[in-house]
Amino acid sequence: MTPATSESEKVRFYTLNKETGNRVVSQYIDSVTGKPVKDENEAKGYARGENDYVILTDDDLDRVALDTVKTIDIEKFVPADSIEWVYLEKPHYLMPDDPVGNEAFAVIRDAMKADGVVGVSKLVMGRRERAVVLEPRDDGIVLWSLRFGDEVRPEASYFEDIEDEADPDLVPLVQKLIKQKSSHWSPNMVSDPIQTSLLKLIDEKKKELKPRKTAKGGKTEAAPKSNVVNIMDALRKSVEADLKGRKAG
Amino acid sequence: MASGHRAQWKGFLKFGEVSCGVALYTAASTSERLTFNTINKTTGNRVNRVFIDGETEDPVPKEMQTKGFEIDNGQYIIIDPEEIAAAVPESNKTLEIEAFIPCSEVDDVYFDKPYYLTPDKMGGDAFIALRDGMKKSKVAAIARTVLFRRMRTVLIRPHGKGLIATTLNFDYEVRSSKKAFEEMPKLKIEGEMLDLAKHIISTKKGEFDPATFDDRYEAALAELVKAKIEGKSLPKPKKVEVSKPNDLLAALRESAGLLKAGAAKDTKPKRTAANANQGSGRQRAARGAASKAASSGAAPRRKAG
Repeated sequence: MTPATSESEKVRFYTLNKETGNRVVSQYIDSVTGKPVKDENEAKGYARGENDYVILTDDDLDRVALDTVKTIDIEKFVPADSIEWVYLEKPHYLMPDDPVGNEAFAVIRDAMKADGVVGVSKLVMGRRERAVVLEPRDDGIVLWSLRFGDEVRPEASYFEDIEDEADPDLVPLVQKLIKQKSSHWSPNMVSDPIQTSLLKLIDEKKKELKPRKTAKGGKTEAAPKSNVVNIMDALRKSVEADLKGRKAG
Repeated sequence: MASGHRAQWKGFLKFGEVSCGVALYTAASTSERLTFNTINKTTGNRVNRVFIDGETEDPVPKEMQTKGFEIDNGQYIIIDPEEIAAAVPESNKTLEIEAFIPCSEVDDVYFDKPYYLTPDKMGGDAFIALRDGMKKSKVAAIARTVLFRRMRTVLIRPHGKGLIATTLNFDYEVRSSKKAFEEMPKLKIEGEMLDLAKHIISTKKGEFDPATFDDRYEAALAELVKAKIEGKSLPKPKKVEVSKPNDLLAALRESAGLLKAGAAKDTKPKRTAANANQGSGRQRAARGAASKAASSGAAPRRKAG
């Protein structure tokens, strides 16, 4: 099982000391004595009051540790679209790593595919026991860890003031606009222009090895007015503008 | 709207020539977990973090700190933090919808964090028209804006009476499933074996509501802290429940053996509860990932966002 996401390709900066050019590192010091604290003397503490901490030792923490069971035991299968997206926490790719497992893996995968279901199981990850979902994809299985019930905030208190029904005349226009602006998913949609310009900046520095000010920085568009007077007009305008654009193109 | 909650971001949602004022609210957060501080065991005092020079070990005051990019091991190009900041375009506070894509095409592997997207008082009509139009057309929207100091792409989709905007990870942060599964042997399961597996699935069909699944480690941790504060005896180390080995796999393997009757005799060891942890390949894989992640569990956390 390997995570599907990673930050390793992200441009990372370190903090340096201007004077010496050395890396700046962090160190823990005792807040009262000011003396450095060795790693082995660091412990987790829960604030009971001001400057009063209950220390949890490793032994204490072991008492509540959950056993890590090495088996992904699928408890049930549920319709593939029944797990709300908002619960999806982190994707992992699941593959068999010995030939014995290949066939059993493929059987589960293909049967889930054929039935339009995903498997639900539990797995201890990072000390916490998470519900996980196994979803067949391509030749493998994507294993999603799910957020806990109490981690997802109840939507009702955010959405309660929103009206139920849209103006029936507006919806067809929106749909028309949707059609015009329809596209297909592509990873190009998640490019990182800032990373690109940072890499360029680094490249320039590398080449010249003397600092130069960048004039980079995107154009700033004025924020649109919030109170669009007539949505119908605006929608029509959008649809027309797009059509014109197409003819011209 | 959404009174009583603090918005993470306020701005405009723009599609075509229409725009409406909107706000983003964190939809999922771990900020309600117990938080711990790092304490010096020998004195019982909290520890503070200070920044020192890696070589000289002298403290480095804030004004002497700058940013560097590592080009070779230990060799850095110094870059002024202001130059880095200049690379971030000024925010126009507008989530502009660039495209609508069919819901079925969304690659959820890119999902990062979900936010509830709600209209402000002025924007209600356009907001609900967009919501209902998207619902009817079964599409999600791709929008971009400067969010949390990065130009981010968010996926917007209708959800109940509102919209949910999910920030997406960047292309270089995600390994595609196609690539990950490239090396998988191309096995296609058909016929009797597939029927058998489908039968097993049908006996285990059910429903699952993640909303009902709570964090029992967090609950145990809270109990532990409570007992310590009150000086009560600590919870006994729990007797660990060991899950049964995977019935489905065992059953399927057995039947797979039967189907291949005549072929080499099945010499695989019988899987019983006793050797549950001995494991097959999949079990080993899960163990590696779980133990790697184990260290990060209850570290002191800062609030998300």
